[in-house]
Order: sequence, then C-alpha cells, then structure tokens
Amino acid sequence: MIKDLPVVPSAKAGSMAAAPAGAAWREQHPVIGTACNQCLECTLFCPEGALVQTGGNMTVMLSLCNGCGICAVECRLQAIAMVREYTGVSGVFPLREEKV
Amino acid sequence: MTLSIKDLPQEDLFGPGNAGCRGCGAAIAGRQAMKALGPRTIVSIPASCMATLSGSNQRTAWQVPFYHTLFEIAPAVAAGIRAALDAQGIRDVNVVSWAGDAGTADIGFQSLSGAAERNDAIIHVCYDNEMYMNTNGQTGSQTPLYAITSNQRKGKQTCKKDMLAIMLAHGIGYAASASISHPLDLIAKLKKAAARRSFSYVHILTPCYRGWGIPTDQSVAVARKAVECGLWELYEVEDGVRRRTYEPSFIPVAEYLAPQGRFKNLTADKIQEMQDAVNRYYHREEGKA
Repeated sequence: MIKDLPVVPSAKAGSMAAAPAGAAWREQHPVIGTACNQCLECTLFCPEGALVQTGGNMTVMLSLCNGCGICAVECRLQAIAMVREYTGVSGVFPLREEKV
Repeated sequence: MTLSIKDLPQEDLFGPGNAGCRGCGAAIAGRQAMKALGPRTIVSIPASCMATLSGSNQRTAWQVPFYHTLFEIAPAVAAGIRAALDAQGIRDVNVVSWAGDAGTADIGFQSLSGAAERNDAIIHVCYDNEMYMNTNGQTGSQTPLYAITSNQRKGKQTCKKDMLAIMLAHGIGYAASASISHPLDLIAKLKKAAARRSFSYVHILTPCYRGWGIPTDQSVAVARKAVECGLWELYEVEDGVRRRTYEPSFIPVAEYLAPQGRFKNLTADKIQEMQDAVNRYYHREEGKA
C-alpha cells in the first residue's frame, strides 16, 4: 500500500555538490604544505568536505571550498596556508601582490 | 573503545555543496554526525539554518532522505517515520530529528517533549548556535547570559536554559552534550545513541561566526575554548549514570568571551562573575583563574 502512494518531487541525493554556492564567494583558499602528516583532522573540521585524502595525499577540492580558513587555524602542524585570490564573474585567479 | 579518525568513513553523507556561510558550525556538526550515523539514516529538520543550507527546491546536500518539516514538529515527524518503518518491519534505520536551538528548546519544544515522553526510538540532535541565526540572530532561551543579539543590544539578562537537565527530567535513557571542536567525542556519542532503541538527545555546540562576532576561521577554535574554559561541559548521561567525557584544562573564561563580538559589552566584574560561577560548578578554588 505504501508503494502505491504518489511520488512527490524530491531532490536528487547530493545534488548541491554539482553547483556549490560557497565556492563562488571564496576570497582565499588553502594550500597544503609538505609538513602535512595526513592526520586527517582537518577533514572533520571542514564545513564543506573540501579536504579529501586521495592516493596518500591531502587535496583541496576547490570546487567546494568557500575559503573559511578553519583548516589553516586547526592544523596542529601549521601545514596549511591560506592564499588570497579573486573570485567572481571573471573567474578565479590569485592576487599577485599579496604576501602570504 | 577509542575511535580513530582513520577508522571513520571517508564518504560524506552530508556536506559537499551546502549553502552555509563560511565557517558554518552547523554544517561541521552535520558532517561529523553523519560519520557516526551512516547511510541507513533518515533526517527530519524543521525551519532552521540547517534546513536552508542543506537544500532548497530540487537540490540537496544530503545523501540520505531528508525531510524539511514545519518549525514545531521535527521530533513528531521523526516519530512518525519510526512508526512507519516499524509497520514495514524495517529495523536497521536511524531516525534523526535535527533541530536548532529554537526548534529544540523554544518553538519545537512541545513535540520534542512529547517524543521524549513516549520514548520514541529516535535521536534528537540540537545544534546550538545560541541565537535564532536563520532569522538574523534574535534572543532565544539558549542564548547565554550577557550575549548581545540583534534584538537585545544591551545583552541578555537571564541565563541559558539547561536543556540537558530538562530532557533528563523526562527519564530518557541517553543524553549527551558535544562540541564540534571534539569530533571523535561527538561521533562516539552519536554512535552510542544510534545503538539504542529508545529516545536519545544530543546537544551540540555549533558556533556561528555572524551571531557570535568572530572571524570565520575561528568557529572551531571558539568552540574548543568554550569546552576548555569549563563553560561548555562535555558529558553524557547513560541510563542515569553521568560521566564527564572530557576534562577541561580550565583556561580563564575571559579567553573564550573576549574575542567574541557578542560579549563586547562585558565588564571585568561580569567576567569575574562568570569565572566564579565556573569555579563553583567544578568545585575549584575561589579566585583561581
């Protein structure tokens, strides 16, 4: 009987990841340095799940990152640096003059 | 049993692409919680930031079924889902009602109290940003003493309501407090709650950078300070047995309060008053910072 109920419009699972809102207003992004020891702690503190371990390395999925900077603050080894950038209608590029 | 980060699932059942603000504490709590709850989970969320940031129209940031309910009824909806699953003989699903501090302690309280009293087999998670942040930060019953909010510019004059004590008064089997700054503690507590077939309550501190007046990168750091200074105690009550799950290092409460814009009006007297209250609560020497 439950199976006979009409199917109402519903969202496809995880469909927001295809067009993330946050990455469009990012002003800085993390760069993971060589000091990283793969403790994976940052992966639990990222609001977007942008930090992933792939093939024994930590990578930042820039399509998801909105540049909050929590990972850089929380990293115990200070292995993550935030690099400022311009994000907008013209695309994404680093600010050259900025000292990190 | 001690958890390790390496044992946790890598996949994200909530999070990627969510429309939360930068450094959103609620989104962090959601991601950490789903590491514990797993793919066999159904979530009901009332009107709140979490509902807004995790889906609108035909898009969602959840990989599990997620129902956006009316404000007052998230635990009632979860209880209904549990009843429907029971009727179909489905036993391996966690049903979670996930509400903010308003959806838990104020507007949603009657249905929460009802579900707790009936001992419906659901987990209620309160993600507590201590203000009504989805409507621009008004005062609620979970707003702490002296915090400035958008409708109380001089700061709140009454204390925060102790939701864990209220929920425990219902005689529920499991209640715990957690913080996004201590993810393994949070995950262990939710795993415990999920393993039970009775009503459980988990209250998570999730800072909001806008409401609290902190930089976006400080959400987790501030939550950690709240724990370390003793103002946010991490504990659980399992079948009536209370256990503190993390011993704070007792940094001065000023280190937690001073960096926050919402406490900018605090005078030294009031900070000392809060320090004294913490010292009394933990039976520490008077006057010791």
